[in-house]
Amino acid sequence: MREHIQNRRYHVEIVPPKQDSEKLDADLVQFAEKYRRVMASGYCACITDNAMGLLAFQGLETIEYLGLPVPPDQVMIHLNTFHTKPDLDFILSEGRRMGLRYLLAISGDGSDRLPKLQPADVGAEGVSSVTSVELLQYIRSAYPEYILGVAFNPYEPPDHEFAKMERKLAAGATFIVTQPIIARHPVVDELLRRYPAIPTVVEAWMTKKLYLLSDVVGYQIPEDTAYSPLDTLRKLHAWYPQCGVYLSLLGFKIQYPIIEKLWKNLPEATAS
Amino acid sequence: MKIVVCVKQVPGTSDAKIDPETKRIIREGVKSILNPFDLYAVEEAVLLRERFGGEVIALSMGPERASAVIREALSIGADRGVLLSDRAFGGSDTWATSYALARAVDTIGGVDLVICGKQAVDGDTAQVGPGIAAHLGFCQATYVADIRAVTPETITVQRMNEDGYDVCELAFPAVITVVKGINQPRVPSLRGVLAARAADVPVWKPADIAADLSKIGLDASPTRVVRTAPPEPRGGGTIHVAGSPVECASRLLEILQARELIQGGR
Repeated sequence: MREHIQNRRYHVEIVPPKQDSEKLDADLVQFAEKYRRVMASGYCACITDNAMGLLAFQGLETIEYLGLPVPPDQVMIHLNTFHTKPDLDFILSEGRRMGLRYLLAISGDGSDRLPKLQPADVGAEGVSSVTSVELLQYIRSAYPEYILGVAFNPYEPPDHEFAKMERKLAAGATFIVTQPIIARHPVVDELLRRYPAIPTVVEAWMTKKLYLLSDVVGYQIPEDTAYSPLDTLRKLHAWYPQCGVYLSLLGFKIQYPIIEKLWKNLPEATAS
Repeated sequence: MKIVVCVKQVPGTSDAKIDPETKRIIREGVKSILNPFDLYAVEEAVLLRERFGGEVIALSMGPERASAVIREALSIGADRGVLLSDRAFGGSDTWATSYALARAVDTIGGVDLVICGKQAVDGDTAQVGPGIAAHLGFCQATYVADIRAVTPETITVQRMNEDGYDVCELAFPAVITVVKGINQPRVPSLRGVLAARAADVPVWKPADIAADLSKIGLDASPTRVVRTAPPEPRGGGTIHVAGSPVECASRLLEILQARELIQGGR
């Protein structure tokens, strides 16, 4: 992951087609186009796992079905705790077969339609439910070839979040991806102070619909709040030059050509 | 084991509109989904097939677009599907519908088990499963929450009742209706969805199931809908109490006692 940051390789989120899509063929074409574009840029495609609890097709299955390449350094799969044990092992063993290296282990958002891993599934004892910590421990022991990342939420109470981060790192995480950062955040600053050796990627919110982050930040953001994703992205590079950047909800028509030049053209002092 | 699983297409909304003339739900312009309880029926059928072998056939009755719910059942793991669709079936109530479905089960032949969701979320009658059993003379158990054992001749189920549960042994052939919680329905794979989309779903007409035309459709339906209305929305149940923790707890106690939700003093 350190190499991703040194080479100014953006992490670009791509959402697989939804299970209830009424235009599945078009969605698959669009997924493939985005994915190929990210590969051509030398960036890392980050494939979500039923984000927000909305049923979508599994990322690796979609990649495999579409015959897309999996360059080991250019694909990261999100993996949450809402799977059956057989599905979890299928994803992990398929990923291994396809050459996948990067996983982002997260607790995730559930729904009525999603099964939840049970502690016994992942060999966890003394816990009532499986979180990203138990998921990490399992993957670390059963599939040690993966490079594991975890999420960091600066909007949670810091003591709680840092304690959780300690457990995640102890369980095998070797890099960190934050929740969307829309302004320089003291808790992210603290994270970077505490773990200078852990590669950290900050998430840039690339849609103007800032209010969609209300649940994440924990307060209501008015719908008419003005927000410039590209300005914020430039600021993120300035605020956190030592970090990688994860681009969520990126627009591929207008924003993508701009971001392709943005980081590469920043002076070395800004992005070192 | 040869299993027929009955599935129904229902409006995917809790804000259904009623046609004042026909007293029926207006389905046009409303996204349709697989009846949520039927999802558990499909999963249970597929689980049984995985354990004991055999075949799972998804069966539905409705307009041609209802083939979508059969394809959803196929994407989850059903082997094939059949749709009963014809104007002659239109307007069937639960009695006529269960007759038509029973005829289809009989036409499929050699069926050991019919599985339905406990009820459809649009009509909420819970009558079609038992109706199929009655028409076919099959054993039946409703509100099944667990399948405890299966032998070549019998199936033992745990069914919920108002006071707890019963354990029943049914001889094959049988009909069961299942409740949410009997299993965790699997999420279809991309390949499963694409294969289901390409699958052939035969459409059967009344003649294909040797249906007596006097027993299907609106005229054959003894149910008369006098009035239909969506249920009243549940009123807001939030009460805010202010004060110290002791004051709040005391006020909460008073409210619960006033509503006879709890008894006794402090």
